[in-house]
Amino acid sequence: MIHVRQLTKSYKDIQSGQFTALAGISFDAMPGQIYGLLGPNGAGKTTALRILSTVLKPSTGSALVNGFDVTEHPDKVRRQIGFVSTNTAIYDRMTAWEMVQYFGQLYGMPLEKLDPKMEAIFDRFQMNEIRNVLGSKMSTGMKQKVSIVRAMIHDPPVLIFDEATSGLDILVAREVLKTVEQLRDQGKCIIFSSHIMSEVQRLCDRVAIMNRGRILAEGTIDELAEKYDEDDVEELFYQMISVSEMKYESCRSSIAAIKSNSASAVQR
Amino acid sequence: MKWPNVKLIFRRELRDQLRDRRTLFTVAIMPMVLYPLMGMAMLQVAQFMREYPSKVWVVGQENLPNSPALIVDGRINPEFGHAESQLTELLVSKENDSQFQAIIRQCRENSGMTRTPILVDQLIQKEMQDRKIDLAVFIPSPIRLPNTSDPGSPETSAALIPEIYVFQNSAIDKSRIGADRINRVLAKWTGTVIRETLTEHEVPLELLQGVQITNADVADKVGKRAAAWSKILPFIVMIWSLTGAFYPAIDLCAGEKERGTFETLLSSPAARSEIAIGKLLTVMTFSMATSILNLLSMGFTGMFVMTRLGTGMGLTGGLPVGVPPLSSIGWLLLALIPISALFSAVALAAAAFARSSKEGQYYLVPLMMISMPLMMIPMLPAAQLDFGTSLIPVSGLMLLLRGLIEGNYTECMKYATPVCAVNLICCWLSVRWVVHQFNSETVLFRASERFGVGAWFRHVMRERDALPTLGSAVLCGLVILVAKFFVGFVVSPPRSFNHFAFQTVTILVATILVPAIMMALILTRKPRQSLRIRGCSLPMACAAILAAIFLNPAFTWFTGLVMLVYPPGGDIVQLEQAVSRILTSAPGLWAVLMVFAVAPAIIEEIAFRGFILSGFQSIRGKWQPILLTSLLFGLAHGVIQQTMITFVVGMMLGLIAIQTKSILPCILFHLTHNSLAVLLSKADASVVEHSPILARLLYSNDGQNFQYGIVPGILMSVVGVMLIVWFIRLDANPIPQPLKRTWFTEVASRLSGAKNNS
Repeated sequence: MIHVRQLTKSYKDIQSGQFTALAGISFDAMPGQIYGLLGPNGAGKTTALRILSTVLKPSTGSALVNGFDVTEHPDKVRRQIGFVSTNTAIYDRMTAWEMVQYFGQLYGMPLEKLDPKMEAIFDRFQMNEIRNVLGSKMSTGMKQKVSIVRAMIHDPPVLIFDEATSGLDILVAREVLKTVEQLRDQGKCIIFSSHIMSEVQRLCDRVAIMNRGRILAEGTIDELAEKYDEDDVEELFYQMISVSEMKYESCRSSIAAIKSNSASAVQR
Repeated sequence: MKWPNVKLIFRRELRDQLRDRRTLFTVAIMPMVLYPLMGMAMLQVAQFMREYPSKVWVVGQENLPNSPALIVDGRINPEFGHAESQLTELLVSKENDSQFQAIIRQCRENSGMTRTPILVDQLIQKEMQDRKIDLAVFIPSPIRLPNTSDPGSPETSAALIPEIYVFQNSAIDKSRIGADRINRVLAKWTGTVIRETLTEHEVPLELLQGVQITNADVADKVGKRAAAWSKILPFIVMIWSLTGAFYPAIDLCAGEKERGTFETLLSSPAARSEIAIGKLLTVMTFSMATSILNLLSMGFTGMFVMTRLGTGMGLTGGLPVGVPPLSSIGWLLLALIPISALFSAVALAAAAFARSSKEGQYYLVPLMMISMPLMMIPMLPAAQLDFGTSLIPVSGLMLLLRGLIEGNYTECMKYATPVCAVNLICCWLSVRWVVHQFNSETVLFRASERFGVGAWFRHVMRERDALPTLGSAVLCGLVILVAKFFVGFVVSPPRSFNHFAFQTVTILVATILVPAIMMALILTRKPRQSLRIRGCSLPMACAAILAAIFLNPAFTWFTGLVMLVYPPGGDIVQLEQAVSRILTSAPGLWAVLMVFAVAPAIIEEIAFRGFILSGFQSIRGKWQPILLTSLLFGLAHGVIQQTMITFVVGMMLGLIAIQTKSILPCILFHLTHNSLAVLLSKADASVVEHSPILARLLYSNDGQNFQYGIVPGILMSVVGVMLIVWFIRLDANPIPQPLKRTWFTEVASRLSGAKNNS
């Protein structure tokens, strides 16, 4: 369903020169599977998911979503996905109903098919109370619900959740996680990024631990626990990130030392 | 492009904006409330707008004749201005008069009072301050009417024409207004004096008048109204169209980014171009709505206020402006479509670059500043629609609109095509810019970086690119433009040819060569490549020289066309004449060629086709970098006519530079082009007649100014075009290897070696 190969993304940055957000990641996610991207802030999770949702273009590498390449057929890829992110807010001056209807129409659904489907979804997610409420008047939980419904209205085979529970209270977060599980059970391929260990442990069938644009480890939770001899996912995550950071710092100081040595050699 | 998606986005954005209180306030509420409120305020203020009396200090009243009496009972004689008499308060105090008179007399004897001495100025200013007077009138000596019965009497002498001085302080409005009143009174009084004197001496009064002049206005009422409105309405429409595009553009781009809804839309199936066009249509709708609502509100309010003010001033039917003719409204609505499209597209493209609404405002204010002069040009009384002005975006359209409102259809139809073409091209370019902005990741996801000079400099030094970046090319261009602007004020008028030559070359080196070379050395890792200093094959060099020769007639004709459409102003002509005079003192033709051909060819090519074009080449494609470099090249020449000519030459030079990857052919083209221009200007009959080639190629109507003949010129241009095609096709053909060692590569490698050693 999703095949990512050697995906890289770099930006130019005034402070640090060339900034590499993704340094060649590869992974596969299958239908009926929740694939977790786990990593601290700045690990490259959002960049990877933005590339999968065709919001960004990769610098090199390839990514296929349901058989379509994100660079060559971005329009077809967008029809295959539903994208929910902390950054994908809802419109303040639109009601829940208008918002979902708008995106349904953008996905090419005729109103005669869209309206009954929306009725069913609004019933299922108990959103009838907020159907005429403007986005600006909704609570964070309501907004997230609308956002998820907006992403799944066209029944996409792939759903991407980028830190979708970030900033939500426990009740709403649980509801979101429950929805994600239901979608998995319907056979959807789900990419779920988070830095909350308990969520990942509970939901994800496979996990990739990321730091500084690279995948440090990849597999099922059990495989990772066995491979690194650590049952506690949080501890495992902490150790991997710590080792990765230490390696990074050591490389950086080595490079700085080499640079300073070569400079003093030139001066001599 | 899927139009149903565009329609869907447009409808959503429209609804969204209609639910936004700020937008509604700016677009609808403000115009509907603002003008009536302003009208009310005007009516209220009008009642306080009464004229205040002027206090006039009269010194030497006793010197005035009894008949005709200027002052009666301590006031101005109402016979010479009833209103002036009412509004003038005379102070006929003897205090300080003697001192004042003594000073004036002394000054008169010394300098003849051609200009008021400082002593008098100070005295008057002090009196004005101390005695709270607005102006002073001084009659220095008794005024006796001329006695023609005694021709030998001194009174008839011109030297003894009676004098009256009016001292005012022009820095104070009240003093200036008072002086105007007194001058009007004195003019009438002088007229009476002359008439009475002539009557007394039985001279016919008709002699005074000479010729009877009668002014008659043949304009009809509608025409007058149209003329009055034609100057105001286009400006109102344009300014509100721009203002109306501002806030929706900011909200639809920067506002969406700020609220986080932009990414939601980008991940939907709508293509970026569909999103851009949908938003553009929304901004355009609001721009047009703002303009129309303002126009209507202003029209209605104006009509009522004018009527009230007119009635207040005793004019039946109000002030003579009236309602604008109906046809003018139709023309305005028609013109509003392209204008709104243009302003909306530019505003949207600029707003797309902003990360927040606040930042959006920073970008759009300069847009307003740039647009204002284009809107002000047609308001000038001398501005009229001709081929030149029809090619100026916005201004041309405003002038066309003015003509249509005034009913000059024949004149307008002549220029309607160029006006529409120019504005439609601008619209198309702006829309393309919007779509490009929406397709650009760096624009849409620009990270919020704190800019620090130190960090930036460290970044520049640490992460120097091999070749110049877009930013460094723009910076170099701006440095050159600013340096040339300021140097223009510093240079002194040349005294001799040597002085002129030294000054010209120094300016070229200081303002163009030095910035380009310094930036290539500091900002890039490969300065030689950045400046495009490399050899080229012999065919390329020859083709460049031949292209300059064969395209010369076309460039010369284009120069003539530009001068015809935009005739140079008096200053430019004077400057050209001054330079021509100086050139006559040149030691020889070689010296003129060194200054006008060799130096600019080398220096300008290193900077423009070298550094700047290399920087612009970081943009994709071939033509965009050439276009931008040529634009800067043209602007660096300062004068608008030269800017247009050098822009076209720059396009050719840019093409040669990109296709040959070297500035050597560009230098050869530039050198040949400039040399031919100098030689053509210096061609005279004796030279042309003695050369069979020149005799067939050139002709002159006056034996002095030679031009290319039509047939040889066209034939040469055809060959020139073939050479352009040859340069364009260099991409398809393998580029011939550069010469192994040329003087150029030799010098370049030595320069590079010297730099590495240092």
